Amino acid sequence: MSAVERNGHRGDDLARMTMPDDAQQMLEVARDRGISTVWDRLAAQEPQCGYCALGVSCRNCSMGPCRIDPFGEGPQKGVCGAGADLIVARNLGRAIAAGSSAHSDHGRDILEVFAATAKGDTSGYQITDEAKLRRLAEEWGVTTGDRPVAEIASDLADAMYTDFGSRKKELGFVERAPDQRRALWERLGLTPRGIDRENVEMLHRTHMGVDSDYANILLHGLRTSLADGWGGSMIATELSDVMFGTPTPRMSQVNLGTLKVDQVNIALHGHNPLLSDVIVQAAADPELVALAHEKGAAGINLVGLCCTGNELLMRRGVPIAGNHLMQELVIMTGALEAMVVDYQCIMPSVTDVAKCFHTKVISTSDKAKFPGATHVPFDPQHGLDIGKAIVRMAVEAYPDRNPDRVRIPTEPVPMMSGFSVEAIVGALGGTPGPLVDAIAAGSIRGAVAVVGCNNPKIALDYAHVMLTRRLIENDILVLVTGCAAVANGKAGQMVPDAADSAGPGLRTVCRALGIPPVLHMGSCVDNTRVLVLAAALAKHLGVDISALPLAGAAPEWYSEKAIAIGAYVVASGITTVLGVQPPIFGSTNVVNLLANGLEGVVGAKFAVEPDPEKAAVLIRRHIEEKRRGLGLPFIEPATITAEPVPAGA
Amino acid sequence: MPTVFVNPERCIGCLQCEFACATEHSTTHQVALAPFELPPPRKRIHVAAGPRPSTAFPNKCRHCDPAPCQQVCPTGAIRRDAEHDVVLIDGAKCIACAMCAMVCPFDVITFYALANGAAGRTVAVKCDSCIERLRAGRIPACVESCKVDALVFGDLNEIVAAGRQRETAAVFAATTAADSARPMPESIVAWRDLGAATARAGGTR
Repeated sequence: MSAVERNGHRGDDLARMTMPDDAQQMLEVARDRGISTVWDRLAAQEPQCGYCALGVSCRNCSMGPCRIDPFGEGPQKGVCGAGADLIVARNLGRAIAAGSSAHSDHGRDILEVFAATAKGDTSGYQITDEAKLRRLAEEWGVTTGDRPVAEIASDLADAMYTDFGSRKKELGFVERAPDQRRALWERLGLTPRGIDRENVEMLHRTHMGVDSDYANILLHGLRTSLADGWGGSMIATELSDVMFGTPTPRMSQVNLGTLKVDQVNIALHGHNPLLSDVIVQAAADPELVALAHEKGAAGINLVGLCCTGNELLMRRGVPIAGNHLMQELVIMTGALEAMVVDYQCIMPSVTDVAKCFHTKVISTSDKAKFPGATHVPFDPQHGLDIGKAIVRMAVEAYPDRNPDRVRIPTEPVPMMSGFSVEAIVGALGGTPGPLVDAIAAGSIRGAVAVVGCNNPKIALDYAHVMLTRRLIENDILVLVTGCAAVANGKAGQMVPDAADSAGPGLRTVCRALGIPPVLHMGSCVDNTRVLVLAAALAKHLGVDISALPLAGAAPEWYSEKAIAIGAYVVASGITTVLGVQPPIFGSTNVVNLLANGLEGVVGAKFAVEPDPEKAAVLIRRHIEEKRRGLGLPFIEPATITAEPVPAGA
Repeated sequence: MPTVFVNPERCIGCLQCEFACATEHSTTHQVALAPFELPPPRKRIHVAAGPRPSTAFPNKCRHCDPAPCQQVCPTGAIRRDAEHDVVLIDGAKCIACAMCAMVCPFDVITFYALANGAAGRTVAVKCDSCIERLRAGRIPACVESCKVDALVFGDLNEIVAAGRQRETAAVFAATTAADSARPMPESIVAWRDLGAATARAGGTR
């Protein structure tokens, strides 16, 4: 009996799953060929451990492991004396530190290559957006003037390096936040001081015998996340723009149909654009294209996956094959010669699936190796050569493809991408004023960032797409990043014509500007673009971010990085709705603090609502509350329900 | 005669009983080593996911009397230990015909080669109620590992009587809460409600 059959309540009936068609067809391939997927493995894991799901198990020391009986009759204290509140807070704190570390280490990798490029020590990299470099330099107090670009870049890199340590009282990008928010952070002790420092301090605090006050740990959790959002991630976004270009709106395509039946297909998967960007250059190499022809292919076709895919889609319009849960399924098309991976969210299972086909998995980061993959270590000094070597491996795998096993399930869907803050403000005529005016007039009620991952506990893309649809129908502008962006792209909600499914106010604005009602702002580190946009709107209005009619949502989140993002978005003043429950329900006090108490502390809070229809109602009410608070025309929040408003009402 | 009684509504699916059972039936009896033994130690209790999310049922041999498995065993490999009222399988006599599994009302008889089995042959494997522990005056390993009273060990009539007393108390405790003698914590109610909501969002509406 397979794991899927064993599972009584989920995953056994593909037809009932409201998944995109390309995924459903590939799941048939998986079933026919007996290939295990993430859904099978979830079924095999059930029932998942209740202690862990509730967050009341602790493995931090070897007096334990300990767990608290959530029924209240068994042990209520770990061996050290920690109760449910402390154990839940410790676990959550460590998850935030892990997520922040992932983003920030990504940022550091970008910074290192940026610094080396400034010194001329790299191949395949250059300063692409000099104007942005100069703006950043001025922000960071680096003299610009007539100095050579390389010198400015070098000094900026040095300045940013200091943000990773503990020599400063606050991070450089904190100045971007409105004064009210900075004063609040200062008062609460939330101002992030050093990117690595806050992560290390969290590991220290959650060691046995250090911080035993759950609320104190959670406050430091917010500071840790702010060091990600206004630190590590923001450096990653901004320097990627400088090196690879600041995104501008462009059309591309999405879903498994982006694979080409007669070409060498290479999927670029992971999060860091450093290598994938030079692979885009390498794939255009005439010698390699000729080799592809020699092998019988019509050309070399690059597609993206996950956030490496989003980075390439935003800046170069490279089509994107899918989001997180598509990474196993893309191999099952039988048409993928190579999957090139860097790091983060790459399931260890991809090498198992690849064994059933001719696909080569090529790992490239020395910090992320995958047994079964071919490892080609990335080295920025020889970036272009390495890129060419990888593309060559893919081309040489093309003759191994078995045409009888090729099944590209669908036609690609068009999507528009490339909405950096610079691009959005540019589209508005150089100032956020017109957007503010549209919000003030009520034609746009507010804006919501729908972000985050896929999670097999939610039908693939279902929550992202339904929540987004309900929001735009009700004149709420939706900003998307990461897997949420790809989900909406697949659903056809990210083309200018999707304005037709928006409410009348939003539709008019989108039509006037020629933009979709759902704007792609980038990868998951690019959630910092949402912070920058929110800060710009707040400064334009002279209010704190928490006063704005904004919200965040992570309907299908799964990762520690998503926990860090949720925390920095809330700590920045934007209430956030999670679609999958975090492991905190073992402590009523922690739940109450995060879902209620935080409102009075940082002006925003968390909510958990798996049903996207109900989440939409919750968010719409929240946005109308904020409109009321700003003295703008508002709809009485209590009157908002899931029922559609009758026409003409 | 004491036996293992299951309160399925208490089970939170931690699988600790499965782990403890396999460890108890290992050669080393050590948590850190047992998972690496060959042939692998096998669990005899099976926590199955319930029909709704966040529910689970720890299923094991009920040591029926008369035991259908014992009645159909063609080789006489299954017998009842009179002292502890436990149904036991003699691996040396088992021919792995699976007649016992076919008639088992609970589907808890599995087939594996065991470290103490006959020369690596696959034989029928099921709960032996930790009879060695019982003989030493200890309770079964699964019950010991369960921190939420999903598994309890005792005399059937006493356990049932205790439940009846709780129900009786509940009848008089409040008219609004039938289970107020043993209230469900808010955290559990919220967790299960959200689990059900997550499942609905997961496409199983």
